[in-house]
Amino acid sequence: MRRPEQAIDRGAERLSAKLAESTTRRSFLGRLGAAALAVAGGSAVAAAVKPDEADAFHFCGHIWNTGSCPSPYPPLARIDRHGYPLHPKSGKRIDNLGRVVDSAGHALDGNGRRRRGPDGRVLPPAPRTRICEDWVRETHGKNDVRTQGSWFRCCGGQIRKLVDCCSFSRRRINGDASLVGYCWGGRRVYCVMYYDSGLDC
Amino acid sequence: MVETFTPAVCGSRTRQRLAAALFAASALATAAALGALLGLAGATLGADRAVLAAAGLALLAAAREARLVRLPLPQSRRQVPERWRFELPLPVWASGYGAGLGAGFLTYQPVATFWVACAGALALARPLPAALCFALYGAGRALMLVWPRRRLGAAEAVERIAARRPALLRANVAGLAACAALLALAPTAEGARITSGLDPSTDRGPVALATQGGSVVVRRRGPDVHYQNASSPSIYRGLLAYVDSSGIRVVRWSDGKLIRRIKGAVSRPSLKWPLLAFRRDVSRTSRLVLRNLKTGRARQITKVSRSHDLGRPSLRRGRLAWHVTTRKISRIYYMRLSGRPRVLIQSRVALVRNPALSDRRLLWTVERSGRAYLRVRHLRTGSVRTIARIRGRKVGYWTTALGGKTAYVTRWSLPTGMATVYKHRF
Repeated sequence: MRRPEQAIDRGAERLSAKLAESTTRRSFLGRLGAAALAVAGGSAVAAAVKPDEADAFHFCGHIWNTGSCPSPYPPLARIDRHGYPLHPKSGKRIDNLGRVVDSAGHALDGNGRRRRGPDGRVLPPAPRTRICEDWVRETHGKNDVRTQGSWFRCCGGQIRKLVDCCSFSRRRINGDASLVGYCWGGRRVYCVMYYDSGLDC
Repeated sequence: MVETFTPAVCGSRTRQRLAAALFAASALATAAALGALLGLAGATLGADRAVLAAAGLALLAAAREARLVRLPLPQSRRQVPERWRFELPLPVWASGYGAGLGAGFLTYQPVATFWVACAGALALARPLPAALCFALYGAGRALMLVWPRRRLGAAEAVERIAARRPALLRANVAGLAACAALLALAPTAEGARITSGLDPSTDRGPVALATQGGSVVVRRRGPDVHYQNASSPSIYRGLLAYVDSSGIRVVRWSDGKLIRRIKGAVSRPSLKWPLLAFRRDVSRTSRLVLRNLKTGRARQITKVSRSHDLGRPSLRRGRLAWHVTTRKISRIYYMRLSGRPRVLIQSRVALVRNPALSDRRLLWTVERSGRAYLRVRHLRTGSVRTIARIRGRKVGYWTTALGGKTAYVTRWSLPTGMATVYKHRF
């Protein structure tokens, strides 16, 4: 039977691997965090992430007050590792219309079968695009948005990665002055998203 | 309050007229603003679906006024603040009195009609018409002050009207009942329901559509014309194109005489004789083809991967429109047959598709998460209007047709798959 600290170490390895390969790998804090984990080992995970539920602004883990990015299920902008939308409750892959879809993009019904249209044919895939780089760009006219900084909180017993969608705009999605947050290169936080890792905390 | 607007109180007959004018203007403006706000709120909230609710409220109000049910009314049982005319200048208190009464809900409500009007304005979901209707309410408020009288004072005139209260209440009941009936019968922003079916096509009167039972129906004045084992109709004057098991047939719809036939993996015809645009599936691609049915010459307009959705084209007056949807983007293409295709509308977020052309306009659907819109664009000016919208995740838009200023759209239920064709005039 695996010892508890070995389980934490494996979790830290997976987490550090995800940090390294995620889009925030150039984040200063991301690199620092990965290095810290590599040196200190898995026990740093438990120490860095509070074991109890994080305070929230409008979703767990969000301790500031920047609004969520636009999404199929506002105000919750849940994303996968690549920034594409997920259903906020089930975590399933969804398209831009909020429909659960398979890997080919076809909408599925409650039984997991591909939905059919009124003509009896399988519904063609609808667009499924990135919340930050595509949705914010089109719905708010921000052509310079990038997914940049992130931080981690414990939510629902698992590690949640909160992600900044950053822009050079001095106004954030709330309409008021934007904060630097974890953005870099002159960008500031325009809106926020989150990714649930599934790792225990 | 009417006794306030006298030469003695105002100071002179000139000041009385000024006060009355300010009161009337303020009552009108405030009532109109209230109507506009309600119409705007209705448009924002999508309350145009609530016309039946407004009809129900009118019926309930009629029952209340007829003393069939007992219902308290939300109201502020207040008179206009009398101290204002001692403390404030005449223009201010006269305008203030007008605004207070023009708003309606800041004073005593003798009948429920005001609240029915508010519900109607919400359901109308259009600020300007709602403002105009409510301005009439403000005008009514001002009428007792500004209506010229030879012998009676304003107070006596009000008392005479009050003496006729029973007759007025009966008239109010009748008016509310009539409103309920008209609201219930009125075509809503959802449009007028035509029939169950999908894929509408129209050309100067007759409408062709497909049934979910696998037939095509041509609806006209007189008996409908049915074609069995058919789908995807496109009607042009006396001709009908549709898809059957072996391809596309072009027939004279009145008697079924076969005019032309195109065999193979073809679908989604759009007919404007002698031209026919359709989709042909070849191996791993879908192609939009334009064929001259007289000469037989064909031209490929575009080609896309079979994993993309190449939609039903719309052919009208030397122009062609169609949609292509991928997992990255949805686009509506438009071209003059003498030119090259160009992207007219595109989105990486919404699903834009199902274009339909008329002589001057382009109609299409826009679907987002939980909402769908029916939009029309004037091809020359570029102006865009939303002519219908639906909210919810269980209902969506499908194919469209456009004839002049009448739009047809298929609405369908995602859980059941049932489709219905609606008509919207704009």
